Amino acid sequence: MLHHLRSTKILSVLLFPILINACAMFETGEAKLKRVRTISIISAMGDELSFTRSGLNGMDNHSQRYSIKSWKLDDAIVKQAGALIATHFQVQPIAYDPELFYSHSGKDSPITPLNLIRDDPLKQLLRTQAQQQSPDAYVVIVKAESTIGPSNRTVEGAGVVKYNALFGSCVQIHALYEIRVYDGHTLDLLEKRPAAPLDNASVTKLAGPSRIVDESYMPSAGDPAQNEKLQAAIVTLIERSLQPTLGDLHLADLQ
Amino acid sequence: MIQAVPGHFPSPRVLIRRRLFASQVLALFGALVAFPAVALGQTAFTVPALPFNIPYLPSPSLDWTVKIGVDGTMTPSFYGSKNFTFSPSPIFSIQRAGSPEKFTSSLDNPSIALLDFGRFRLGPVGKFVAARNASSDNALSGLRKVSAAVELGAFAEYYPVDWFRTRLEVRNGFGGHKGVAGDLSADAIIPLDQGFTFSAGPRLSLKNAQAVSPYFDINTAESLASGLPTFRVKGTTTSAGAGAQLGYMLTSQWEVHANVEYERLFNGAAKSPLVKSRGSPDQLTFGLGLSYSFDVKVK
Repeated sequence: MLHHLRSTKILSVLLFPILINACAMFETGEAKLKRVRTISIISAMGDELSFTRSGLNGMDNHSQRYSIKSWKLDDAIVKQAGALIATHFQVQPIAYDPELFYSHSGKDSPITPLNLIRDDPLKQLLRTQAQQQSPDAYVVIVKAESTIGPSNRTVEGAGVVKYNALFGSCVQIHALYEIRVYDGHTLDLLEKRPAAPLDNASVTKLAGPSRIVDESYMPSAGDPAQNEKLQAAIVTLIERSLQPTLGDLHLADLQ
Repeated sequence: MIQAVPGHFPSPRVLIRRRLFASQVLALFGALVAFPAVALGQTAFTVPALPFNIPYLPSPSLDWTVKIGVDGTMTPSFYGSKNFTFSPSPIFSIQRAGSPEKFTSSLDNPSIALLDFGRFRLGPVGKFVAARNASSDNALSGLRKVSAAVELGAFAEYYPVDWFRTRLEVRNGFGGHKGVAGDLSADAIIPLDQGFTFSAGPRLSLKNAQAVSPYFDINTAESLASGLPTFRVKGTTTSAGAGAQLGYMLTSQWEVHANVEYERLFNGAAKSPLVKSRGSPDQLTFGLGLSYSFDVKVK
């Protein structure tokens, strides 16, 4: 009897830390955010605009890319996200090299099961790039992907898609991004959420903020970097979607 | 001996069940149409996420599009039959909000892409082949019951361009048959206008003798009971044909689609007296479906 009691005690002592660990592992991102006071924001949406033809596009499978460095999209995103987050958290400015984040935006592996277990490439980058500041959390905004049309072709970040059908065509602009929240000390991913479509009233779908526009937004109508209408429309897509996405992540008030 | 095959009439019980099912579907659609937020294309529901995260699994906290609907398909009442059976089936899918639907043909079987290079996908595939009962069609009277089979194998899919898809499935049967079946299809996907898509292409199917023997072999006892001559399938059964689909988005939520598949059996099973005397080597399947999509936010 005494021996049995002792075994139970030993077992309880061994199991207790495992249970505590398991609770921490299963804790939601929202619960983890309760410990966060200071946040640094990194935006790596990129400085390129893609132009993709979809639908009946002959044998053309390639996207064209244009530099939109002069738009300073990432600076605008950091500014707006900072203003939204500052209502609940203390925003701590951070120096980082966005170029490094562009190439590590975490593309999925073609071996799909590996995506469930592989280490986050952004986590490694945060460790080397931004650790010296050490806020309680990092909010990282990176490009997101969406398939277009019925095939498996994808588009990412900011861009323009032209759908060619047998009886007509349509032009759609997009600003696809994802917000990730990392623990500033452990660099564990606390939450991530792609920006959702602003409405689903269009039959031409993209998994993120997008809008049908006219031909004057097409990059073929001149240098896209100089197209103020296109720039304003892309910036508006980001502005309209940042608040609901940050709100869903419990980082800002929902509208 | 050739037997006359009467038409396939559903029993009153089946009719009542179908009417009940139809009224339930109509009621559900009616309720959704009456829900103004849904009709405007806004998020219909917000549901709380699980109170915990599951390690290694993606977070469900996203905006999702749920699709519900009903499909009605007329299929040959058994493989090789000349009679049709109507089978309603539900449509249900969940995908990330805004994601355009990937192209699927009515011949595709459930599959998971373990290797996904975008244009090229590869992974396991499965198919359920229902049991064949002699009582389901008079043409089968006197023939043995064939148990249900599960076919498991692999699929590969390749898009050389956005508007053209090729797909190969190779599956091995377990249960009702233990043979190997392979399906090859190609589809040209033509967007006619915004939300209006037509697709069509050729089909080729190969099945080895073990895959079709349980359904088409006629042994002495069966011959005596059915009046059909004895028969044993030799070689590979080939079927070739074509299929077409038409999909139309009535609104951003409502979609109607129709499909037709035709195949003709050659060699092997096509020579069976069951096909020659009581069935047909020409196999036609056609269907019509209606679906409704709405968004759900998980936060």
